[in-house]
Amino acid sequence: MRPIALHGHERSITHIKYSRDGDLLFSSAKDSSPSVWYSINGERLGTYKGHGGAVWCIDVDWTTTKVITGSADNSLRLWDTETGTQLGKFDTRSAVRTCAFSYCGNRIMFSTDKQMGHACEIFFCDIRDSAQMGHNSSYLSIPVDGPKVTSAIWGPLDYYIIAGHENGTVCQWDSKSGQRLLNVEGHTKAVNDIQPYHDTTMFVTASKDTTAKLFDSDSLEHLKTYKTERPVNSASLSSLKHHVVLGGGQEAMDVTTTSTRIGKFDARFFHMVFEEEIGRVKGHFGPINSVTFHPDGKSYSSGGEDGYVRLHQFDPSYFEYEFEY
Amino acid sequence: MANEITDENNQNLSEEETKEINGNEDGEEDESQFDDPEGFVDTISDKDLLGDVLAKRPSPEDGIDSLIVVDNVPVVGQDRLDKLKNVIKKVFSKFGKIVNEFYPEENGKTKGYIFIEYANEKDAAQAVKIANGYKLDKHHIFIVNPFSSFDCMLDLEEDWSPPEKEPYEDKGNLHSWLLDADCNDQYSVIHGGGEKVDIYLNTSTEPVLLKERPGWTETYVTWSPQGTYLATFHKQGIALWGGDEFSRIGKFGHQGVQMIDFSPCERYIVTFSPLPDTPSDPQSIIIWDVRTGAKKRAFQCGNVARWPVFKWSHKGEYFARIRDEAISIYEIPSFGLLDKKSIKVPSISDFAWSPGDNVISYWLPEIKDTPARVTIMAVPGREELRVKNLFNVATCKMYWQNKGDYLCVVVDRYTKSKKALHYNMEIFHLREKQIPVDTLELKEAVSAFAWEPQGDTFAIIHGESPKISASFYRCQKGGHTTLLKTFEKKQVNNIFWAPRGQFCVLAGLRGMNGTMEFYDLNEVALMNVGEHFTATDVEWDPSGRYVSTSVSWWAQKVDNGYNIWSFQGKLLQRHSINQFCQMLWRPRPQTLLSDDQVTKIKSEIKKYQKMFENKDRMSQKKASKELIEKRRSMMREFLEYRDRKKREFQEQEDQRHELRKGFEDLQEEVDDFEEESVEFFIKEEQSIVE
Repeated sequence: MRPIALHGHERSITHIKYSRDGDLLFSSAKDSSPSVWYSINGERLGTYKGHGGAVWCIDVDWTTTKVITGSADNSLRLWDTETGTQLGKFDTRSAVRTCAFSYCGNRIMFSTDKQMGHACEIFFCDIRDSAQMGHNSSYLSIPVDGPKVTSAIWGPLDYYIIAGHENGTVCQWDSKSGQRLLNVEGHTKAVNDIQPYHDTTMFVTASKDTTAKLFDSDSLEHLKTYKTERPVNSASLSSLKHHVVLGGGQEAMDVTTTSTRIGKFDARFFHMVFEEEIGRVKGHFGPINSVTFHPDGKSYSSGGEDGYVRLHQFDPSYFEYEFEY
Repeated sequence: MANEITDENNQNLSEEETKEINGNEDGEEDESQFDDPEGFVDTISDKDLLGDVLAKRPSPEDGIDSLIVVDNVPVVGQDRLDKLKNVIKKVFSKFGKIVNEFYPEENGKTKGYIFIEYANEKDAAQAVKIANGYKLDKHHIFIVNPFSSFDCMLDLEEDWSPPEKEPYEDKGNLHSWLLDADCNDQYSVIHGGGEKVDIYLNTSTEPVLLKERPGWTETYVTWSPQGTYLATFHKQGIALWGGDEFSRIGKFGHQGVQMIDFSPCERYIVTFSPLPDTPSDPQSIIIWDVRTGAKKRAFQCGNVARWPVFKWSHKGEYFARIRDEAISIYEIPSFGLLDKKSIKVPSISDFAWSPGDNVISYWLPEIKDTPARVTIMAVPGREELRVKNLFNVATCKMYWQNKGDYLCVVVDRYTKSKKALHYNMEIFHLREKQIPVDTLELKEAVSAFAWEPQGDTFAIIHGESPKISASFYRCQKGGHTTLLKTFEKKQVNNIFWAPRGQFCVLAGLRGMNGTMEFYDLNEVALMNVGEHFTATDVEWDPSGRYVSTSVSWWAQKVDNGYNIWSFQGKLLQRHSINQFCQMLWRPRPQTLLSDDQVTKIKSEIKKYQKMFENKDRMSQKKASKELIEKRRSMMREFLEYRDRKKREFQEQEDQRHELRKGFEDLQEEVDDFEEESVEFFIKEEQSIVE
């Protein structure tokens, strides 16, 4: 089916995220107005106004009542999903790169960039405690020396978070003690995105080293590799089929010098188990920065450097197609 | 004789010296006393006293190095001695000033050898180097040696024994690669930005890695024309590799070598390095004997910008180049000029050997009122087989069919107003009496031309983008050429014929997105269209079964790798390799079968076809079976892992409930959906209501 192109953002999309039910799609962009859309028809519900810089990350809790956004204006903000009112703000010393709600929805984690003389830090807050959000005090902060955190998610049962670093390593950080539990050299270049499987027992990483990899959450055991020719900015796992979708393309800084064909801005589908490519979807005319399956696995969305979010419904042939084995 | 002179000088000098030394004897009349006092001991040695004078003191050996002996000089009587002297002077005075010459005589006739003395050793050495082997005429080839080499002769040991024969070095079977049971072909791959060289064996399924050597070459590799050797480039020179294990067969030291060219028979190799040339010591182009490693001859490069500088005749008996408005043809094995003179062709533009005969073709442009001319000439006889004058010529390009049956000259011509160009193809039918020439006129510029190997057909690409067309023509007996078909609106710029003809790939390389069109010329039809985006190179395998297309890192920094297609245009293999540079098929020598045998096999092809088809099917079945098997085991393994994880997940159910305070788990379905109506914009239609 023809995709729905959401043209509400004025600048590049940085992150997109479905609500738990999949009825809403949240998007953040470099234009400081994170938005929420109906995923069924692409209608925009509204925006969360307040940030004064590019918004790098967005997440929604499992009840779809609260949204957090992290921005380059050195703040993390908590919003009411429905009304768009700002419930809280946490000022940081540098840009907020990643943010995520825990499974229970009461805690959040976010990380800041190594920037302007400040080290990268991972913060943990309890959003029920107004003292924490109101006074920029987290119950736990982990200073990260060395390569900064470029992507992060919560692990199963909120015991730890899984973070991807700029040098390609993937780590588990304990959400109570702040200790580094496990550390694997998963990639050779920055890990741009991490997305969990629907039951969080596995996760997929997307890296600048042109590959995406599947890992076990508990052991960080490397399971599968999906190879492409361009940096991978985002990857997502289907809950319905054994499929992985990868988004990326030539780096934004090189795009102007080459044609769309060379850039390879297609969303690429791989078989989760056989690591073989099964299909491509064209559409974006810049690299895809964020791609994610709908929680039901029957559609997917991608947000690109070109400023569009594209909602794709799979055709019936997608569901009929079976890999021979 | 020179010895005599030096001896004389010596004597003179020594007399003077004695005089000086005994000076006091003459000075007896003087009043003053210079005698050493009684008991004086002379502690100052001569060396300290007049070291500078003594250093200049000549010795009998002085000048011996500036003396040369020339053998094989004609024996003449007194009457012609002056004439001979003149000739000798002419030849030898160009190396330096001749101080002395001596013609030994016997019975009023010269003895056939002479002595020449130069002013200094350098000139003498120069003369030895260059004049040695000078051909005065057929029977008199000078042998020039320094006089000092006589000493070597004198020092000869009494009991001379012939040098020991070097044991024969078995280099193994250099043709072993041809013994592959399935006649699979090999190819070389350079990747890692030139750091790594691999040799693969191409099979109908996956290539097999045969050899892997990091840093095998410093720039690139090339196969010899019949595939026996692989040449690698190094700072010090060229190395050749071959045999089962690709062991080193030979090396040719040529500092800074940049380009090489094999003779068609693989006997000789021409190397080029941008070293400075001097007339006496050319070192930029060297021709080597591949088997012995001997340096056969060196040439100056001159101001030639084109490689190969030398073009070899089809069997490697002659090689030729353009030099100073002439074609210089050299012959094997003497490496001397054929008939000792070049073929003078004023303002010659280009020449080419026929790939089938010892025939050369060349053309010269229009000068004033003389028309441009294409000439076909036989070598070594130099008789002109066919000459064709052409008018209003802008430029010409010559294309030989690979058996030498036809020569096509594509001529760009000015119209009368000289403002526009039109185009002609002049086709010479060499196998027919008097070589008839057939002319075809074209409205559009020809951007690519290629003959069908062993065939009568040729393909051209003509026209400007976006109206590029490809046309196929066939030559017929009686000097006629007919158009088979024109395919219009093509995005192609290169023609690649299968090595045995019939099939042909038209490719749009580099700027043209990498379109690959596969044609069958028996049917004159397009079989298939494929694409290898941004492809830079296309090459047929030597058997004509496969086509490789590649994107080289040398041309473009992304998406490097190569694809292998069947000759019908089916994409078989895709290899994307980081910093892949070059893929080259290993050539095969010409078939040993006679024409009759080839025809017989062709007529019985049905018999073989079945056999091969079966074999292919078997191997494919096996491959797909293996693949399925592999996938099954992968899936089994993965599902086992998932089962384990699912159990773990279920065990944690309570903990999850705890975290979300009793809300349903995300696995469970919620039933109380709210009805919501959503409007979709599907189609807009405008119709005028009457």
